[in-house]
Amino acid sequence: MKNNTTTNINQHKEEEQHHPKNDPSTVSSIDSRFNQTLKNVQGLLKGRSIPGKVLLTRRAEPLDDPSIQSPTFGRSFSHNDAGSRDHMHESMEEKDQSTSKRNNEGSNMLNSSTSNIENTSKETHKSPMTARATDSTRVTKFTKELSVPTVRLERLRELGWSGVPPYMRPTVWRLLLGYAPPNSDRREGVLRRKRLEYLDCVAQFYDIPDTERSDDEINMLRQIAVDCPRTVPDVTFFQQDQVQKSLERILYTWAIRHPASGYVQGINDLVTPFLVVFLSEYLEGDVDNWSVSNISPEKISDIEADCYWCLSKLLDGMQDHYTFAQPGIQRLVFKLKELVRRIDEPVSRHIEEQGLEFLQFAFRWFNCLLIREIPFHLVTRLWDTYLAEGDALPDFLVYIFASFLLTWSEKLQKLDFQEMVMFLQHLPTQNWAHQELEMVLSRAYMWHSMFNSSPSHLAS
Amino acid sequence: MARRPDEEYDYLFKVVLIGDSGVGKSNLLSRFTRNEFCLESKSTIGVEFATRTLQVEGRTVKAQIWDTAGQERYRAITSAYYRGALGALLVYDVTKPTTFDNVSRWLKELRDHADANIVIMMIGNKTDLKHLRAVATEDAQSYAEKEGLSFIETSALEAINVEKAFQTILSEIYRIISKKSLSSGEPAPANIKEGQTIVVGASEASTKKPCCSSS
Repeated sequence: MKNNTTTNINQHKEEEQHHPKNDPSTVSSIDSRFNQTLKNVQGLLKGRSIPGKVLLTRRAEPLDDPSIQSPTFGRSFSHNDAGSRDHMHESMEEKDQSTSKRNNEGSNMLNSSTSNIENTSKETHKSPMTARATDSTRVTKFTKELSVPTVRLERLRELGWSGVPPYMRPTVWRLLLGYAPPNSDRREGVLRRKRLEYLDCVAQFYDIPDTERSDDEINMLRQIAVDCPRTVPDVTFFQQDQVQKSLERILYTWAIRHPASGYVQGINDLVTPFLVVFLSEYLEGDVDNWSVSNISPEKISDIEADCYWCLSKLLDGMQDHYTFAQPGIQRLVFKLKELVRRIDEPVSRHIEEQGLEFLQFAFRWFNCLLIREIPFHLVTRLWDTYLAEGDALPDFLVYIFASFLLTWSEKLQKLDFQEMVMFLQHLPTQNWAHQELEMVLSRAYMWHSMFNSSPSHLAS
Repeated sequence: MARRPDEEYDYLFKVVLIGDSGVGKSNLLSRFTRNEFCLESKSTIGVEFATRTLQVEGRTVKAQIWDTAGQERYRAITSAYYRGALGALLVYDVTKPTTFDNVSRWLKELRDHADANIVIMMIGNKTDLKHLRAVATEDAQSYAEKEGLSFIETSALEAINVEKAFQTILSEIYRIISKKSLSSGEPAPANIKEGQTIVVGASEASTKKPCCSSS
C-alpha cells in the first residue's frame, strides 16, 4: 500500500514536471488518482510518513523554534519535492550548485564541496538565504529565457514559480506582471513611456496644494502619511525619510487613480517588496545598510514608477479585495475555511468548536499577502511564486495560506480560543529560512494540483 | 469554549478599542497587557486581540480586549466585534484635533452596532507630547459630560493613566453587571465560573445566551 502510494506520487510528480498545471492531460490523470492522493495527503497530515526520496535536504541551521520542528514539519521535508515544478528535476540534475553563505553554515547539505564560486560571490551579498534560485543550471535557464527576442511568459512563470535569482528579479517581475512587454525590442520604449506617465500623475495629483484637494483626498493623504512611518518598521531601511516620501507618492497616486478602493491600510506593505527589488538594481549588500541618498532623483523616479505600475498590475487582479467591506477577501477567507476542512478535518473541527472564525486571523493574511507573517527577507521569494501565478494568484493564495496555517496543525489543536487567536497573531516564524517557506509553497502546489482540478471535492 | 482549570477568574469582560488611525490604540493595549510600547508599531489590520487578568473590586476579572483598525474602510469588518462587548475605549490623539472631532462619528458607530448599555470611556492619548497638544482637557471633559462618557487622558509611552483607564472601565462594567444580576434575577455572574458561554468575537452568532453581556 505504502509502496503504491509512493509510486503514484512519483508519477504524479513527473507529470507535473512536464505539464503546466492547467494542461488537460494532467488534469485528467490527477482526477483518476484523486482518491489515492487524497489518502496520501491525509496520511501525511496524520503523521504516517510516505516513503519517498529526500531530495531537498539543504537545511540551513538548526531551527531555534521548537514549534517548527514539530513532527508535521520534519516529515514534510520529505515531500518538498512532491509539489512545485522543477524541484525534483533540479535536484537530480544539478550537481554543480552554488551555495550561499548561510547554507555553508549548515551541516546537512548536498553539494557544498562543488559550489560555484563565481555565482556564490555574486549572490551572497545580496541575498544570503537564497539556495535553489542561485543554482547555476537554473540561472542558465533564466538567462536563456530572458535573452530571446520575445520572452515566453508561460515558461518564465514555470521557472519563476520556484524562485528567481535575486539579481534577475527586477527584470523577471516586470515581465511576469505584464508591466514590461515580452518583446525585447519594445521593452525599453514602453518602460520609458510608463515612467513618464507616472511622473505626470505625480505632478497632477500629488504635487499640488491641499487647497486643490477634496476633503476625502486630504483624509486619504493624511492616512497614508500616518502609515508610511510604520511600514515594515522592523527593517530600518524603510525608516529613511526619502524612502517614506517615495512610498507616500506611490500610494497616494495609486489611491487617486483607483477610486473604487482608494488607499486601504495594508496596501502600504504591498509596495515594499517592489521597492526592495527595484532598488536592488542600484544598491548592494544587506537591505538594512542601504541608503538611497546616493541614487539620482531621476533613478528614484524610475524606481517609484516601476513600483507604482507593478503595484497597479498586482492589484488589478484583486480589485474587490480593497473595495467597501472587502468582499474579495471575505470570499477567499471562506474558501480557505472550506479547504482546511477538506484537508485537515481534526484541526478544522477544533477551530470551529473553539468558536474561532477564520476571518479573525486570515483577514490580515489576505490583506497584506502574508508580508506581516514571515520575516521580510523571505518576502521576495514568496512573491516570485505569487507573480508567477499571475491571474490565478487569488485562488492560489487560498492554498498557500492553508499550507501555512497547517504548518501548526498539531500545535493549534492543543490551544483554546484565546490561545489560538494570540498564537495566530504572532506566529513563530522569526527564524524561518527558505526551507520553511519552500515547504509551505510545495505543499500548497501539491494540494492545488489535487483539489483544484476536482472542485466537487471542495463543495460542502 | 474550553476553560483551562488553572485559569481562574470570576468574570470575563469583553472590551473594544476604537478610534481614528494612529491615535495609539494598539500601544494602549500592549502597555496594559504586556507593559510594552513600540514607537513605530505597524498599523492594525482588521482586529487584534489580547487579554489580561486583574483584580477589580476584589474580584478576578479577565479583560478580553479587541483592538480594531482605525481606518474607515475597515469598519464593516470591525463593527462585527462590537456586539457582545461590555465596554468600549474610544481613543483620540490630544495632538490631532481631527481625531477628537471624529469621536462623535465613533459614538454613532457604537450606537449602530454595539449593545445599548455598553460602557464607553473616552481616552485622550499622547499627553507626553506636551508641546504639540491641540485638544484642551477642558473641552474634552465637557464633551464627555455632555455625551455621558467617562473620560481620562493617558500616555501609553510614559505609562501614565493606562492602568487607571482600564481599571476604571472594568470597575464600571463590574458595577453594572453585579447590579443587573441582583435586580433581574438572571443567573448570578459567579456562574461564569462554571463554564457558561461568554460571547466573544464571532461566536456571538451562536444561539447560546451570553451571561454577562449587557444586552
